[in-house]
Amino acid sequence: MTNASITLAVPSQKGRPALELFRVRHIPDSVESRPSSAVVAEPTSINPPGSKRYYFLLMAPAILVLAFISIYPFFWMIYMSLHDVDIGKVEWNNFANYLKLPSDTRFIMGWALLVQYSAMCLFLQIVIGVFLAVALNGSRFEKVLVTTLLMPMMMAPLVAGMVWYFLYNGTFGWYHWLLQSLGILGPKSILASANTAMIGIVLVDVWQWTPLITLITLAGLKRVPQDQLEANMVDGASPVRNFMSVTLPNLYPVLLIAIMLRFMDNFRFTDSILVLTGGGPGNATKILPVYLFEVSFKFFKLGRGAAIAFILLIVTIILGMLLVRVFERGQPKKG
Amino acid sequence: MFSIPKNAVYKRVSRRKFLELGGGAASALGVGSMTLGLGSTITRSPVQAASSEDAKWKQYAGSKLVFMSENTPPSFAIRDNIKAFTDLTGIEVTILTDDLPVVQQKVGIDLRGGKADYVLNYVQDKPIGAPFGEFYTDMTPLFGDSTLPQDPDGYGDDAWFENFLSACGRFYTEGKIVALPYDCAVACTFYRQDLFEANSKDFEAEYGYRLEFNKDSTWQNVIDMAAFFKKAKEAGKDVPYGYAQHQGSFAWTTQLDIQRFLFANGRWMDWNIDDVYGSKDPGKTNWGDDSSIAMLTKFKELADVCHPDNLANGTLELNTVYQAGNIAMQTQYHEFAASIEDEKTSRAAGGKTAYAPCPKGDAKWIKNGGEAVNGTNCGIGGIGINGNASEDLKRAAYIFAIWSVSRDNQFNVLKGLGGTPTRKSVLEIEEVKKAQQRPTTMPNALTFDAVYNYGIKNPNFVLGPKIPNANEYHSILAAEVQKCLSNEQSPEEAAKSIQGQLDELNGAG
Repeated sequence: MTNASITLAVPSQKGRPALELFRVRHIPDSVESRPSSAVVAEPTSINPPGSKRYYFLLMAPAILVLAFISIYPFFWMIYMSLHDVDIGKVEWNNFANYLKLPSDTRFIMGWALLVQYSAMCLFLQIVIGVFLAVALNGSRFEKVLVTTLLMPMMMAPLVAGMVWYFLYNGTFGWYHWLLQSLGILGPKSILASANTAMIGIVLVDVWQWTPLITLITLAGLKRVPQDQLEANMVDGASPVRNFMSVTLPNLYPVLLIAIMLRFMDNFRFTDSILVLTGGGPGNATKILPVYLFEVSFKFFKLGRGAAIAFILLIVTIILGMLLVRVFERGQPKKG
Repeated sequence: MFSIPKNAVYKRVSRRKFLELGGGAASALGVGSMTLGLGSTITRSPVQAASSEDAKWKQYAGSKLVFMSENTPPSFAIRDNIKAFTDLTGIEVTILTDDLPVVQQKVGIDLRGGKADYVLNYVQDKPIGAPFGEFYTDMTPLFGDSTLPQDPDGYGDDAWFENFLSACGRFYTEGKIVALPYDCAVACTFYRQDLFEANSKDFEAEYGYRLEFNKDSTWQNVIDMAAFFKKAKEAGKDVPYGYAQHQGSFAWTTQLDIQRFLFANGRWMDWNIDDVYGSKDPGKTNWGDDSSIAMLTKFKELADVCHPDNLANGTLELNTVYQAGNIAMQTQYHEFAASIEDEKTSRAAGGKTAYAPCPKGDAKWIKNGGEAVNGTNCGIGGIGINGNASEDLKRAAYIFAIWSVSRDNQFNVLKGLGGTPTRKSVLEIEEVKKAQQRPTTMPNALTFDAVYNYGIKNPNFVLGPKIPNANEYHSILAAEVQKCLSNEQSPEEAAKSIQGQLDELNGAG
């Protein structure tokens, strides 16, 4: 039995604060003896036992800050989404902001493009990121290469967008010239065609954020039990088989974090797309967050923008929870 | 290694005290920078009508103003020369510049949020003036205020080029003036006369007329010329593409491209509204009618023979394409002549480029019974005063506004970075008259004949449409036209889709 399970296995006692469950209060006799440093001794509490008021006072500053910067705007967003909002004028509009959305083709198309964009980005980032992590793991130049790889992440997305905008430029862009020389592109630059513009913006995201996946995966790889890998190899497993049956299952938790981070980031992403295409040509790259930005800060339809933002938020939360469930099921069972 | 004195400062200041001091300093810095760094401040010395001119100019000495502007030549030139204004008035002005879409968002949030962080704004007629016009100060009471300095050239319609004051200053009503014309970008044709001359024989052999461009050249001629160059290029000849447009990421530039084309052919307009003042209730759109479908078909025909990057290029990028020698002709805003004539950065410099009015409509195409004109449109940038500001801030801002649009200032900008005058009196200056012929030290002046003597005159000039939903209208139009040009939908489908969306937008469905 692991340490964590000892902690959680403590039966809850009626009337005790939930937080107390996470303290080690009792070590069952069945637990085998360990070095004394491995067993967490009960801390000497300075708090009166069960003082909810004390805990609340401790958390109060954080709650206040959170309320100010997050909870208040959240409820204000919901309020706005139910009204026509303008300076000095907030009028109830009978859910019109929500009711109009199903017939708004740009809203519907925005969703479709967002799913397409996120799926393409996630797939490429996970595949390339994991591949790079495996290739780098234990390499002699691991530290230097990881540092080099991290550089795109350090760039502001808006700046990254501008850099790629110039690289893609049909008149003087180096990547445009390269892609054309290789016969991959025709005379049109990648952002000038509705067929290729989406690929153009996906590549920028992949370039900038794949290193994050690599970094997280690399951290996960360090925790893969060597004994299991060695045992598997002794049993005659190939490196690929070893990766699939030992490494990958052990990477599930870190991959979950990586996918969650990137998925949620993509669902609110606008920066480089605004610079690269502004959502065009046509509406070919107008993913929902870009449309949301446009509605709110170009058309100044703040009520409609709030309604779109609220729906986007709810969907993000639901999808996030589903994602966690899927990965929880996929994790190898312990014990 | 280091000797630390017993009474070192860090030993005398407790950790708690250090944190308190640090927190206090950070808060003060934050609040201070927010209130003083960005916001405008006012200091006033009262004056009367009988006070001297100098006292009137200096009545707000010590004040600070913030001007949010597009990154156009006048703003750079005025920023470089801001000391002259501070010496004259004692007022400090911070000029912030950015791309127009960013300016639009920043001033929009400021105005609609009831703030006056930017007390002076660049009021670009359609993208900023049309949606936010009512949030600006009415300048008409200030024009007659004897306690303020006034420009001897005045501010009436006659002081500016035809319709300029109305374009950026009047929105939905005649009486109120919310901005003074600060700069302008009027469309005209830039073409490579060296390439035209070199290819004239081949062109004439194929199309039966000379390869030349003048005020009578039509959009059909432009299609012919673009097709000729494209065909030659694809056949391996060392020529650039013939023509290109700006239909990239900024929706307004696409709207202007299509508007010029449709207006040229029968003076077709999106709505039957007053083109000068605009309308808050434009009603049903004309999109979807026979003219719009026919014109969109022709527009697509033109796009198909243009430079392939039309859908990625905005105004700046298109100009770069022309500067790089990759196209033989463009319809561009006259402020770009300065960069075209710069021999360090442009292959089209050195007398290779000629300037002409925008192409004319083709009588054979017209379906609405209107006339064929040299459809010319524009962006007239005004300087306006935030209506949320205090009365004194408004007055101080007015002093800067009238100084920035004065004849002398516009002349200096034209000489310096290449401005685009809005005051008629600037063109009366001998030096400017001479500069309209080569060799010139004011390259923008080479376009003045095509622009001021022809393009902006009736019946060629189209100003609007000014509607409160201007930015969403630009976005809808750009997206649907771009889809049509990308072969995602037919011209008829595009025109009908625009019709449906615009009527819904304006509650006219």
